[in-house]
Amino acid sequence: MNSDPLFPLFLSLRVAGMATLLALLIGIFLAWVIARSDLPGRDVLSALTALPLVLPPTVLGYYLLVALGQQSPLGRWLARHGMSLVFTWRGAVIAATVVALPLVVQSAQAALSAIDQDLEEVARTLGRSEPAVFFTVTLPLAWRGILAGAILAFARALGEFGATLMVAGNIPGRTQTMPIAIYDAVQGGNQSEANLLAGIVTVVAVGLLVVARRSTRYIPW
Amino acid sequence: MLEVSARKRFRSFYLNVTFTAGSEMVVVFGPSGAGKSQTLRAIAGLTRPDEGRIVLNGRTLFDSSAGTDLPVQARRVGYVPQQYALFPHITVAKNVAYGLHHLPAQRRREEVEKMLTLMRLSSQAACYPRELSGGQQQRVALARALVTRPDILLLDEPFSALDSGIRSTLQRELLVLQAHLGIPILLVTHDLAEAYAMGHQIIVLDDGTVLQGGDREEVLRKPRSPSVAQFMGMRNLFDGEVLSTDDESLYIRWNGRVIQAPPQPRKAGEQVTFGIRPEEVMFIRRDRPPRRGLQENILAGQVVGEISRGTEHLLFFHIDDMPDEKGYHLEVLLPHPVFERLGLAVGKQEQVSLKKGAIHVLPEVDVRWQRRAVTSPFVASARAPAKA
Repeated sequence: MNSDPLFPLFLSLRVAGMATLLALLIGIFLAWVIARSDLPGRDVLSALTALPLVLPPTVLGYYLLVALGQQSPLGRWLARHGMSLVFTWRGAVIAATVVALPLVVQSAQAALSAIDQDLEEVARTLGRSEPAVFFTVTLPLAWRGILAGAILAFARALGEFGATLMVAGNIPGRTQTMPIAIYDAVQGGNQSEANLLAGIVTVVAVGLLVVARRSTRYIPW
Repeated sequence: MLEVSARKRFRSFYLNVTFTAGSEMVVVFGPSGAGKSQTLRAIAGLTRPDEGRIVLNGRTLFDSSAGTDLPVQARRVGYVPQQYALFPHITVAKNVAYGLHHLPAQRRREEVEKMLTLMRLSSQAACYPRELSGGQQQRVALARALVTRPDILLLDEPFSALDSGIRSTLQRELLVLQAHLGIPILLVTHDLAEAYAMGHQIIVLDDGTVLQGGDREEVLRKPRSPSVAQFMGMRNLFDGEVLSTDDESLYIRWNGRVIQAPPQPRKAGEQVTFGIRPEEVMFIRRDRPPRRGLQENILAGQVVGEISRGTEHLLFFHIDDMPDEKGYHLEVLLPHPVFERLGLAVGKQEQVSLKKGAIHVLPEVDVRWQRRAVTSPFVASARAPAKA
């Protein structure tokens, strides 16, 4: 398995893609709660969602390891249902999701706050249910901001190192993502592999930045 | 028929409105912050009153004592907020179709087409809202609300975003539309001319409370209190004392003069507030005797200021030998041709008549209006040199 130098790239893309989707689902919901609901303690929730931005990834990874490991009730419950997360690629997805989440929440929250609430209110007076209003008015108007956040989240997930290493470990062919593989190659003196992998990551990152800039600039209506 | 009785406490403001409205154009008029928009929002179901009852055509939309609170979606109200709130990301046709989601596609297309034709928007169907003029945007907002056949139309300052040139055209169109639809329209405005032009019925709101509501002529000519009188442009308000009354007149002593007002039962010695609109004060021509109706209440004085509005002139008149607070006693509004014919100018000695039939004695006296008495900007400039 170690013979396939592209395995870390595909694993990273898969992990980052899934993490971005998860972060979008959770993040848009959290952003909606923070921006639109009158739930008490929204400011605390808002601060909590920003925590992964300020905590060192290794600390985050350590917390996740403890929370998902065999010692915790959650870890035992997961193990009993055959869903071990620690030292699997799924664990890497969890780590990347947590790290990427604040980027989605913050951009989605800003995008939601920028929407004129008159629009949603008029939609309600026209007989539309809350979910319909969200999917036909709120989301279409906010998606550009959310997309920008999603691209940043994907990039952040793709580059995740510290938390992933803690939770998923460094198992070549199983949990060795791109950044970890690069670290591994450099440590092992394998410079040509390190160059190749670093080059690929750079090209992907630049491409993402270009897409992110275009998506926030271009307005079709 | 709409019956509203709603109370709600806001952070710095208490809304307490009660009124009824028929199947006509009803204007909710008042200064900004009076609670006009909140009243509309309460009817639409976008704001929940603390207590009260809102009944539309016999259908209870809200009743705090019965625990009824119909959701916005079930109220069948057409709501057009101040900036129209057109959905910017979909076309005009899709905006109009938005409330028809329950209809099959074919029916929906027909209904939208009919409405676009009625509102003269057919050629804009494929446009996005931001490509439209202000007047077109307003028509789209109306079309979007009306296509769902609401039981009432709620319009929040519908003309405030428009150029004055197009405003009167659209006001007339809305009146035609209202007559065509036959549903009540509640229209919020802070503009007196608009309130009068649009309203069959005017509800005057200030500080969260209905000061007066009813037929527009009644509210304009016979304000109940000095506050309403001021809001309705009855700029000349005075305090006096009833001298006597007979079949012909009510005699009021005012600053040493006797003013005759239309007869009404009042006791001698009673303190009253009376008023006359600026356009009802008449200048007496020196070259001929005053015509009938202007023979009473003739006062001599001086024109002390003038603001020309091009088509009309606002004159400030100081009555001879009478103490004053503002530098003048009367505001007089004259059309330009009359102003020209009379050869009026600042500084000239003239006579005016407070036309007896136009003097309105207010049924209520409230003290609030005295505190908010307005000083004219003209006074500072015109009177300051005289004092210096």
